[in-house]
Amino acid sequence: MAYVAVEQITFRFSGRQPAVIDKLSFTVTRGEIVGVLGASGSGKSTLLRLIAGLEMPESGSISVDGRLLTNERVFLEPEQRGVGMVFQDYALFPNMTVADNIVFGLHKLKRSMRLLRLEQMMELVQMKEYAKRYPHELSGGQQQRVALARALAPQPSVLLMDEPFSSLDAHLKASIRSELRQILQKANITCLLVSHDQADIEAICDRVLRIQEYGRENEFEEIAVG
Amino acid sequence: MFSKRNSILLVAFLMVATLLAGCGANNSKPGNSGEASPSPTQTQTQTETPANTASPEPSQTGGEVNIYTARHYDVDQELYDRFTKQTGITVNVVEGKAPELIERIKREGSSTPADLFITVDGGILNSAKAEDVLQPIVSGVVDEQVPAELRDKESQWIGLSTRARVIVYAKDRVDPAQLSTYEDLAEDKWKGKVLVRSATNLYNQSMLASFIAIMGEKEAEAWAAGIAANLAREPEGGDRDQAKAIVAGVGDVGIMNTYYVGQLAASQDAEEVKVAEQIGVFFPNQQTTGTHINISGAGLIKHSKNKDNAVKLLEFLTGAEAQSKISQANFEFPVNGQAELPELLKSWGEFKIQNVDFAKYGELNPKAVEIANKVGWK
Amino acid sequence: MKITLLPRSAGRHVNGWTMTSVIGAAVVLLPILYVLACLFRPPNDNWSKVKQFLLTDYVLGSAKLVFFTGFFAAFIGVALAWLIAGYTFPLRNFFKWALVLPLAVPPYIAAYTYSSMTGYTGIIQATLRNRFDVALPPGTIEVMSDRGAIFILTLFLFPYIFMMTRVFLERQSASFIENARLLGHKPISVFFRVVLPLSRPAVMAGVMLVVFEVLSDYGVANYFGVQTVSTAIFQTWFGMYDVDSAMKMAAWLMIGVIGLFMIERWLRRSKRYASTTSRSHPLRPQRLKGLAAWGAAAFCTVIFLLAFAIPIAQLAAWSIQYGGKIWRSDFADLIANTIKGAGIGTAIILLIAIVSSRAARMFDSPFMQALSRMMSAGYSVPGAIVAIGVLAIFIELDGRLAPLYRAMGKDDGALVLSLSLAMLLTGYVIRFMATGYGALEAGYEKMPRVYSEASRTLGRSSLFTFLRVELPLIKGSLLSGFVLTFVEIIKELPLTLLLRPFNYDTLSTRAYQYATDERVFDAALPSLLLVMIGLVSVLILLRPERR
Repeated sequence: MAYVAVEQITFRFSGRQPAVIDKLSFTVTRGEIVGVLGASGSGKSTLLRLIAGLEMPESGSISVDGRLLTNERVFLEPEQRGVGMVFQDYALFPNMTVADNIVFGLHKLKRSMRLLRLEQMMELVQMKEYAKRYPHELSGGQQQRVALARALAPQPSVLLMDEPFSSLDAHLKASIRSELRQILQKANITCLLVSHDQADIEAICDRVLRIQEYGRENEFEEIAVG
Repeated sequence: MFSKRNSILLVAFLMVATLLAGCGANNSKPGNSGEASPSPTQTQTQTETPANTASPEPSQTGGEVNIYTARHYDVDQELYDRFTKQTGITVNVVEGKAPELIERIKREGSSTPADLFITVDGGILNSAKAEDVLQPIVSGVVDEQVPAELRDKESQWIGLSTRARVIVYAKDRVDPAQLSTYEDLAEDKWKGKVLVRSATNLYNQSMLASFIAIMGEKEAEAWAAGIAANLAREPEGGDRDQAKAIVAGVGDVGIMNTYYVGQLAASQDAEEVKVAEQIGVFFPNQQTTGTHINISGAGLIKHSKNKDNAVKLLEFLTGAEAQSKISQANFEFPVNGQAELPELLKSWGEFKIQNVDFAKYGELNPKAVEIANKVGWK
Repeated sequence: MKITLLPRSAGRHVNGWTMTSVIGAAVVLLPILYVLACLFRPPNDNWSKVKQFLLTDYVLGSAKLVFFTGFFAAFIGVALAWLIAGYTFPLRNFFKWALVLPLAVPPYIAAYTYSSMTGYTGIIQATLRNRFDVALPPGTIEVMSDRGAIFILTLFLFPYIFMMTRVFLERQSASFIENARLLGHKPISVFFRVVLPLSRPAVMAGVMLVVFEVLSDYGVANYFGVQTVSTAIFQTWFGMYDVDSAMKMAAWLMIGVIGLFMIERWLRRSKRYASTTSRSHPLRPQRLKGLAAWGAAAFCTVIFLLAFAIPIAQLAAWSIQYGGKIWRSDFADLIANTIKGAGIGTAIILLIAIVSSRAARMFDSPFMQALSRMMSAGYSVPGAIVAIGVLAIFIELDGRLAPLYRAMGKDDGALVLSLSLAMLLTGYVIRFMATGYGALEAGYEKMPRVYSEASRTLGRSSLFTFLRVELPLIKGSLLSGFVLTFVEIIKELPLTLLLRPFNYDTLSTRAYQYATDERVFDAALPSLLLVMIGLVSVLILLRPERR
């Protein structure tokens, strides 16, 4: 059964420009880690922003776990969607510590629960000893793990990751890839991951949606990977 | 990115801002009646409409009088304070530029809080009258203290003091026998030697207006063109600066107001005193049309709410005592003949003044500006 | 995007919150619109004369003043910014903040001070004459001229450009400049090939502020006898008694300025140099040695002396010598009024600026852009013209509120709002919206959107995001907006003169009272106090940076 259902989504930045995403449809099942592959400018980041509610589609609908997020009449604000997102350069709040960043989205929990969840998350990404640090005191890989913990903490229905490796050193990539896969599996989360690097996606994802080079029609090939 | 919450936030902030502005408004009243009044005698000041009787803290028994003034002299404030002490009438003041104050009175219409409009320059006084914001001042005391020629025909305004616009010259280079009239300064013999400030200044505009009234538009234009051609330098600075330029040798003769000569002479700055010592004062046109004078005066506002107090203040200001003080402090000529002149003014003696209705200054002022622009007197 | 949104959003916000916000903004805009409306009134007889005799010369005069002041201020501002951001040399840390101080000096006071100092009886000529028996030929030092006006306006306005450019270079340019250095470019080449083009947005933003100040200046131009559009406006009003034509001219000036705004915006839009990733690191200055180091220090010293130390020393000397004569017990009130008016005014401006700059960022439509531009237009127009607009609106408002006043037990036709401080504060808000708005807009432009977006995807509301994420990140801009606006309001004169309530004197009006009567010495004490208050607030602005 379709857990994430994207149907006939069309989006353009302004009325006169060609559509960046044109009548795109696909589905993701629960617990699946799906990679979205395509060159820059092909609209793959926009796709994540549409699901998160940061952009409004011209037409089409998106629903997660049977809950309608947007269609021609409905538009849920990002904060009402329960979707987690890891941004390209992580967007960790520079004025808050690691712990404050992670707790940021836990406002609906009681204080005791909040601390417990923080504990779990720090454990999950193995950043316990860095709780009091500020983002600029961390390495790129550490920042990524904090961003991941922050997005996972409120237990989102789906996790969106935008180019998670683009700001990391090449020689770190391999170890971080496997680490990420482990974390995602441990968290048992449905995940959509965007990248321009096929190797990234093959290392982590169950399935790949290949988005065509900047075109009118977006075609998705589904390639099963081992 | 179109969000209801965002919009609510936006509106909420605007409302807070408006509220804040409103609070500022409310605060300003107690603030002004208490902390912000300029002098101890005015602690009872009310900034609300004078007629407001619902005020919890009533003004002193004497009531109050509200002045819009374009005169900026310390002696004025001293006299207001003295008046308050004598009568218990509070004096509230807004200072500003005369045309702007007239504009404010006009726009406030019948609601205006102003009782008196005080300014320098007959043209402006007349323009206040022409704008229909004044009413006749009925007071035997004032009539007695201020001669008729220094009052408006309908007594809508009265003079408080006068100043003459005279020729000053370098004592070491110019023999006063060479000087005769304003008209003479436009002759070729003074080419490159005349100093006068910008024609954008009211003193010059009124002077030119008076010449238009006396000699007609054509002659006045020729005169202005002559002056513009004889200038020692592009007009710059104020009247005092012309005196300094004469002493510095930029030019030989200049046109300036008498009281600035007095202020230079009485300056605490030794250099300025030296300047005053090196220039001579010449009252021109004594054999002909008379020296140009200008007037500082007060008009009674048409919709005045404290008319009696306003008239009392005028009687006080034109009284011999106040008049002496104005003259002593500012070197202006008093309007009241009983007043005592400072030594310097006495030394100048009597002189013949222009016989032009001050109303003409106002009526002809736009024409004067036009002529100045036309002949290139900047 | 907007069009396709409409049905969905209309369905969701039937009550039209956005309409309300537009109306709210309109209240700020009303007085500006009132002035602009003069364009549609039929011209009177004077208008043709005004056009014939005044306009060309005066427009040229303004253009000249704007061009040269803008050019020299940009030159000095950028050169100093580059020296201080890019190098270390003796006294650099002092100049880093000291070169901002000229902003605390109102240009018209500087004009009076300089012309008195350099005049015949001023300290320079008097000393030469009395001590050394040297008489300078007349005209040797000529401050009162077009050139003098450019000199004064340049010296006391360049810090806008200096400040913005320096902050930009320190924060945004490191990687580019270091690259250029690595690629073997000489300092001069780095400056012209990299620094200058790179810092264009910051320089332009500063230049625009300078241009607006110059266009609306009346004090300096009038005193020095320079013909500008501003002086033409007042000549028409004060000399020809023709308020309508004066307002018409002001309206044209305003149109011109909004146009200038748009062009600058459009030019910037096509070239976005500013990088807004969170990854830029601060520029590390190079150490200058020997002659270069002393040269740099000397250059800074000369500018600092001319633009601050000398005139302030002169004002201080006059204050000591003549202050006793003019000291009245109300000086404490003057100071209190000055600070109170400026404080409240600045707070309101920043509140509105935050709301509208955030709105402009969220609804990035041409309409919002135009709206925010118009809200800033008051900066370029002479204060007295803004004042007329405010006065008209407030008296109208008092008329409309008459029933309410009657219910409160006041007399018929009572003026309440227009006799309160609210009127003056509104004037301040309209006139100085631009400085507050400019600072916050820059703050928002510097802040990557992802922070807000991250907060939203973490389930936080827009309001919470604003308070907890955006506000801390734009704190610096907020502070600099506060100080710039505060200092502007302290210096302000024409609005205060015309819109103040009874017995409301400020340091600025007291200084004017003496200066207008050619009593420059007596004006020194209030002027000096004014500068000191500005100085203290500028120091507050710079404190967090010095850590």
